[in-house]
Amino acid sequence: MKASFKTPLQLRPSCQGGRADFSAERSLAKIRLSPRREQHVEALWLLPSLAKMPVVNEPSERMKKFKNRGKDAAALRRQRVEVKVELRKAQKDEQILKRRSISITSMEKSPTPEDKNVIIQLSLEEIVEAVNGNNPELQLQATQAARRMLSRQKDPPLNQIIELGIIPRLVEFLSCADSAQLQFEAAWALTNIASGTSEHTKAVVEGGAIPAFISLLSSPHMHISEQSVWALGNIAGDGPLYRDALINCNVIPPLLALVSPVTPVGFLRNITWTLSNLCRNKNPYPPLDAVRKMLPVLTCLLEHEDKEIIADSCWAVSYLTDGSNDRIQIIVDTGILPRLVELMGSPEMIIMTPALRAIGNVVTGTDEQTQAAIDAGVLAVLPLLLRHTKPTIQKEAAWTLSNIAAGPCQQIQQLITCRLLPPLVELLDKGDFKAQKEAVWAVANFTTGGTVEQVVELVQSGVLKPLLNLLLARDSKTILVILDTISNLFLAAEKLGETERLCLLVEELDGLEKIEALQTHDNNMVYRAALNIIEKYFSGEENPDLQPETDEDGLYKFSVEKHDFNF
Amino acid sequence: MELSDANLQTLTEYLKKTLDPDPAIRRPAEKFLESVEGSQNYPLLLLTLLEKSQENVIKVCASVTFKNYIKRNWRIVEDEPNKICESDRIAIKANIVPLMLSSPEQIQKQLSDAISIIGREDFPQKWPDLLTEMVNRFQSGDFHVINGVLRTAHSLFKRYRHEFKSNELWTEIKLVLDAFALPLTNLFKATIELCSTHANDASALKVLFSSLILIAKLFYSLNFQDLPEFFEDNMETWMTNFHTLLTLDNKLLQTDDEEEAGLLELLKSQICDNAALYAQKYDEEFQPYLPRFVTAIWNLLVTTGQEVKYDLLVSNAIQFLASVCERPHYKHLFEDQNTLTSICEKVIVPNMEFRAADEEAFEDNSEEYIRRDLEGSDIDTRRRAACDLVRGLCKFFEGPVTGIFSGYVNSMLQEYAKNPSVNWKHKDAAIYLVTSLASKAQTQKHGITQANELVNLTEFFVNHIQPDLKSPSVNEFPVLKADGIKYIMIFRSQVPKEQLLLSIPLLINHLQAESIVVHTYAAHALERLFTMRGTNNSILITAAEMAPFVEVLLTNLFKALTLPGSSENEYIMKAIMRSFSLLQESIIPYIPSVITQLTQKLLAVSKKQYTFSKVLFVGIFLLISYNCSVIISFPEFIPYVFQVMSLLLEMHKNEIPSSYMALFPHLLQPVLWERTGNIPPLVRLLQAYLERGANTIASAAADKIPGLLGVFQKLIASKANDHQGFYLLNSIIAVSYTHLDVESVDQYRKQIFILLFQRLQNSKTTKFIKSFLVFINLYCIKYGALALQEIFDSIQPKMFGMVLEKIIIPEIQKVSGQVEKKICAVGITKILTECPPMMDTEYTKLWTPLLQALIGLFELPEDDTIPDEEHFIDIEDTPGYQTAFSQLAFAGKKEHDPVGQMVNNPRIHLAQSLHKLSTACPGRVPSMLSTSLNAEALQYLQGYLQAASVTLL
Repeated sequence: MKASFKTPLQLRPSCQGGRADFSAERSLAKIRLSPRREQHVEALWLLPSLAKMPVVNEPSERMKKFKNRGKDAAALRRQRVEVKVELRKAQKDEQILKRRSISITSMEKSPTPEDKNVIIQLSLEEIVEAVNGNNPELQLQATQAARRMLSRQKDPPLNQIIELGIIPRLVEFLSCADSAQLQFEAAWALTNIASGTSEHTKAVVEGGAIPAFISLLSSPHMHISEQSVWALGNIAGDGPLYRDALINCNVIPPLLALVSPVTPVGFLRNITWTLSNLCRNKNPYPPLDAVRKMLPVLTCLLEHEDKEIIADSCWAVSYLTDGSNDRIQIIVDTGILPRLVELMGSPEMIIMTPALRAIGNVVTGTDEQTQAAIDAGVLAVLPLLLRHTKPTIQKEAAWTLSNIAAGPCQQIQQLITCRLLPPLVELLDKGDFKAQKEAVWAVANFTTGGTVEQVVELVQSGVLKPLLNLLLARDSKTILVILDTISNLFLAAEKLGETERLCLLVEELDGLEKIEALQTHDNNMVYRAALNIIEKYFSGEENPDLQPETDEDGLYKFSVEKHDFNF
Repeated sequence: MELSDANLQTLTEYLKKTLDPDPAIRRPAEKFLESVEGSQNYPLLLLTLLEKSQENVIKVCASVTFKNYIKRNWRIVEDEPNKICESDRIAIKANIVPLMLSSPEQIQKQLSDAISIIGREDFPQKWPDLLTEMVNRFQSGDFHVINGVLRTAHSLFKRYRHEFKSNELWTEIKLVLDAFALPLTNLFKATIELCSTHANDASALKVLFSSLILIAKLFYSLNFQDLPEFFEDNMETWMTNFHTLLTLDNKLLQTDDEEEAGLLELLKSQICDNAALYAQKYDEEFQPYLPRFVTAIWNLLVTTGQEVKYDLLVSNAIQFLASVCERPHYKHLFEDQNTLTSICEKVIVPNMEFRAADEEAFEDNSEEYIRRDLEGSDIDTRRRAACDLVRGLCKFFEGPVTGIFSGYVNSMLQEYAKNPSVNWKHKDAAIYLVTSLASKAQTQKHGITQANELVNLTEFFVNHIQPDLKSPSVNEFPVLKADGIKYIMIFRSQVPKEQLLLSIPLLINHLQAESIVVHTYAAHALERLFTMRGTNNSILITAAEMAPFVEVLLTNLFKALTLPGSSENEYIMKAIMRSFSLLQESIIPYIPSVITQLTQKLLAVSKKQYTFSKVLFVGIFLLISYNCSVIISFPEFIPYVFQVMSLLLEMHKNEIPSSYMALFPHLLQPVLWERTGNIPPLVRLLQAYLERGANTIASAAADKIPGLLGVFQKLIASKANDHQGFYLLNSIIAVSYTHLDVESVDQYRKQIFILLFQRLQNSKTTKFIKSFLVFINLYCIKYGALALQEIFDSIQPKMFGMVLEKIIIPEIQKVSGQVEKKICAVGITKILTECPPMMDTEYTKLWTPLLQALIGLFELPEDDTIPDEEHFIDIEDTPGYQTAFSQLAFAGKKEHDPVGQMVNNPRIHLAQSLHKLSTACPGRVPSMLSTSLNAEALQYLQGYLQAASVTLL
């Protein structure tokens, strides 16, 4: 007679964005936990925080798992769900363009000998010819011309350049230690090719670029080394396959060796970004020993003063926490949760976003891991984030809260003690729709795992009115979750003998007429849930086994079948 | 079946016969068709006929038959044979789209339905080219064809509006978007252009607007689950055009019909929905467009007329504004004083006006009017939408809005004062406005429970409501009278009692109004006032305060039942019942005169054999006959009949009259118990029978006891009504003990307990447990603890121990209510001290825990969480032993504490009983106490012993 199983959850899929120059699409697997109930799973996209470079299409992936609730250890299980479909846009163009143009300008100003007056226009045919030829000067000119085409703001001719078949030659140029300029131009061109789609990246990798770039990490020329870091970041960002290919080629030690107290900030940003891509993606996750190697450096980078470096370190941590509980545990063990919580409260969106994401991932873990986040102070920061002006932040914060609310009642008590209910109710009332949906989940989880007293506290904090208003939401799942929540509230009310009062309250807040109206909803489960509440609490409900039959006079027959009783 | 002319001919003949009005011809033809529908080619024959038949009627008939065939057979159910052969399936899918598109509209609709049924099963995997095939037709330029495609697409895609997100669903939507979104957008643009090039061609415009409506609907479906990338990129195109369409008017599209919405209204209405969808779900992306829509929609509202055909549009449009104005970041769109004023003046006030259609309903369809106005089935009305907008605006602008409206209310009242008979509608609007402004929360049971503090409700009441009701002419301005009465009714909890008392004679007076709405409202208002509770949960309006009005109240109530249209008015009947229960003995002197007067009138007026009223009065006062079939015909009214009957029966001091006894078997009829509303009054009536007629029942109706217990079984099976079952059971047990000790009840005792145990096992609720605990303890008090133990253990070995351990000990703290607790205390004391097996069997181990639970029951603070205002008499009661008896209005209070005489102080009683026990078996009790009773409990117990001046040996 306990909670019934609900339908499987929603998956918010991620998509393959088009050419994602300069923008890394971030995706998140969300986990919803509540005891013996399904989890709500949702992915979030955020704009890439940093990367100057073209980047990453990531196959996004969802994870579905159940949080272990106390004694219910047997129910603990998890499932991964690949998500393939997304209807929404993955990223916003303006941001991408801006980052790109900035980085190009800065590049053009780099102190290479090439100069404003020497820009030579070459046709594609001329480029092929020169690249394949033996004249070092022409090679350089052609490579530069190709690089310039690849760097132009609109429609860089990635496909055409690939079709020219010059990638293997460009890769060869990477090894021309005697011409640093040629190395640099080739590296830049390849970087930009690798910034395209998976096909484009593949062309670069198959041209043999991985070992070449890795050895260039140790180039005596810092700008070449930096360009290689960038290129490797693009390759790593393509997906788990190339990421692991890089790791297997031992990219990590030379990359980490570049980090030192004297590394210029710009360079360090690039390194951090590439590291974050090496932490990124699932199916499979990055190898554990690679993660262990990177973590100490990432932990230091989190303390850096540059906000982009901090932000990308946070992204890296957020990827590492976006996984199974043992992966989360590795992060918890580093002791960085307090720092992450501190960064969650940063005024900088680019830092707050990934820090929140990372902490949000941590609280999808075990009760102990969630407790570690609570002990790190997450509950003190969340109210600010729930009230943040940005809908995406509200949404992530509410998602995080919903997972904490899925914990044992001691943790729910901490939510109450830390005064999370008022901002939750406000969000439910006035938040952006995406955030409201998360807030509904938070309330649902709260009512599933909370004690009767806690549920009373929730109701007293005014949750009912906004919750009932959201029955008008244009989203069947949200409506269903609310109806389940209402049933939970009634179960608590029954225990207190306050069913009548709750009925009146629901009616007073115009909830009854909304629930009644839902009895005509086109979604069967919604309609049944509404009907069930109406039948159970707003009219009579019968116990079919005990119903008397009628006798020959048409009166009820008093008849009893004996049972074995065991209360 | 071959595709031959002969078969076509045969099929035509049969189809023709299915249209025959004579069932003897029609039915066999239908049977025949069903018998051959499994044959190969059958659907293709139908398609051929609907395309090529010479007779139009056969074409239509074939298309309907085809659609029904598809509906019945297309789905392939696992483990069942495929009902349509694969080649037919392929042929149907290959041909149906062009066929649908080239068919006349009547047939097109059937085929379009058929396509969506097939699509639901086969699309997209098994029908991959459907979309391309449809989209290609957009190029045709033929809007007949295009509308066919759009309609089909709509029926295929509308499920996106309610289904849960899933990978499968989203994959399908993505596929649809890829193939459909761009062509749809182009079609949308092209259609709009055509609308301007054909701006003077009415028939072309009609077709084009039908397309636009379908396109707007498709937009809604395709954008429902999430904001698709394509539509985000093309938001400018869509929203700009939607916006233009909202502001568009064209005389050629205006319809003369006042009731039916025209194409323009339907389109704008859908656009409002689309905008509301974006505003709710994609606020971030839609923000730049929203202000424009707010302005457009608000202009639309300002310019739209009062005709009924605009109702849906207006209500959608207002709801849009209502939802937007509550959002903090759109606050600024409304906060300007001029804007607010203009919304109030031009949107809200006009839509609150009493329209011709309302007036018509008020006069000619009062039942509907009352339902809408009183019971809130007005969700889609303009008034309701306007009311929601007021509430929405009040979220941020309560002060300014109240201020603006006060101005309007005053000016409307002034208009009214200038010339009431012409301007009465102004006052109606003013009252409505005040009501919607002031009410923040409302329930049927209590009226308005939270009001806007800025509105002085009492002042308005005294200055503007009472004067209307004081007017000597009850039939003048009936709408205003109804408004005034409704005002009293809904603000009853907000208006001071002295004002309510002043209103009572006015309400009584209006029971005589000719208008059905007015006298119904008056009756309803009185009934509601009589249920009100003051401080201490006492009745707010007392019988003494009502004394001066009793006669006129009764006279008018009964007279109201004779007014045209109200002979079966349940509001009046309810008021009669409520008055009886409030006034109690003071009605007795009036009954004879009321009856005489009424019987005469009834006999004179009533032409129907069994009018409602007649049955009622015959039933109540003369008790001559009772016919259950009549009861079924007037279900809503019946509960009140029972209540009045129990009131009358309870007034009898002596044994029950035989006329009542004749009725008794009828009360056990299942048909009466199937209606939830009947249950409380019927239980109460049966209780009255048992109280007053126990001997008679035992002697004259013993054979009805099983039927009575059957009713008990029926009630106990229901979570909602089990407490009523216990009321009945408590009466049965009480009666069998005090009056008759009926053997016939005795033989059923065991079965009664088995039933209760079954409920306990299958679906125990707190409510049930509480009732159960009170009941078994009551039983224990009446029959002794040993009897209780013996009967439990005769049902199943060790049952008594299990009940003690699993139910009584852990749950006893849940019992609330003084009398209930006392019953349990005395019952448990008996178990502890008068039940030998507790001392000398394995039950002994439960002795101390039980005692500890009992001490807990004494010492834990009284659980007063059940609000006392729940203790309404009759239908709305809170379960409990005391309630069950307090509803027997004429029985003295003392009787209802069944242990009252026996035990004054249950703690002392426990001490004395323990003392007695300890004398019987010296040494046992102190040793049990010292080994396992906890210290705190022991301390309490010592207190009891001291107070009782006894010691334990």
